Amino acid sequence: MRSKVLDKILKNTPKEVEIFVDLYADLVVKINQILKEKGITKKDLADKMDKQPSEISKWLGGDHNFTLKSLAKLSAELGEDLIMVKPSSKSYNFVDGEVRTVHTFVTYRQKKRIDHHCEIRHININQGEEVSHVS
Amino acid sequence: MNTFAIELWYDEGNMCTFYTVRYVNEVDENLSETDKFFDKYANQDHIYYEQSLQLVRLITESIGNRYGATNDFFDRVENNAQALPPKPKKWVEEIKDLGINFPLRIFCYRVNEQIVVLFNGGIKDAVTAQESELSMRFQEASLFAKKIEKAFTDGIIEISNDGRYINDFNNTEEIII
Repeated sequence: MRSKVLDKILKNTPKEVEIFVDLYADLVVKINQILKEKGITKKDLADKMDKQPSEISKWLGGDHNFTLKSLAKLSAELGEDLIMVKPSSKSYNFVDGEVRTVHTFVTYRQKKRIDHHCEIRHININQGEEVSHVS
Repeated sequence: MNTFAIELWYDEGNMCTFYTVRYVNEVDENLSETDKFFDKYANQDHIYYEQSLQLVRLITESIGNRYGATNDFFDRVENNAQALPPKPKKWVEEIKDLGINFPLRIFCYRVNEQIVVLFNGGIKDAVTAQESELSMRFQEASLFAKKIEKAFTDGIIEISNDGRYINDFNNTEEIII
């Protein structure tokens, strides 16, 4: 059951808002959990990170847009991964007989000239051929 | 305080059920206090439109579906500082954790980690506590919380066996207090 007003809001909530709030909540819960499990106080953490306790409170209170750098520092001090990004696969698995091409763009800039050439390389992955086209 | 009904607001999450309150002495179409709050702020023309959507997501997904009403998401409000006797045993709380500087506050009464009664709220502004609209909403929320707590104490309402719902002695859907 949901109220009609809520139903309308949920149906109009952009995906990016959902992702942002979910990530933020997950992060805050995880950090609080690690602090509790390891018996670390906010003051301990502030000392370790050479910051004021009030600044740490802001971080944990959500009054901070976590940057990758601040998350990395927090992860290092807490000794736990705070975010996990699934690495992209390096290998391509194609169905037999199917041909795919990868386009790479290489720019050559000549000295003292504004114009430049752009080379488009078409690589046939299945057969390892490379065909270049310069424009 | 006028008579009000406790009614379900959202129970589709796996972890927590949300109730709200609605005055019953007004017209039947009257919105609940929580719907009034979101009807006002979750409006595309409002400057805090996006923040109100964030608050809805935090309530329904983070608390309602993933974690329940844990301490991570609530701020105890020091209502004794606002001289509001008699004090409820359990303080009125604010949903938090979208930032200390997050502009919107919504008040609630946390029955347990699986049941939360949401009230109204407002914009956390710089105006003194006595003057701000948020302060009035807080005082109203305190009275709602006090009456709900008394209803539990008097046995007028109780928590269901699974801990997810509030029942009254008649087992009616709309609980009038």
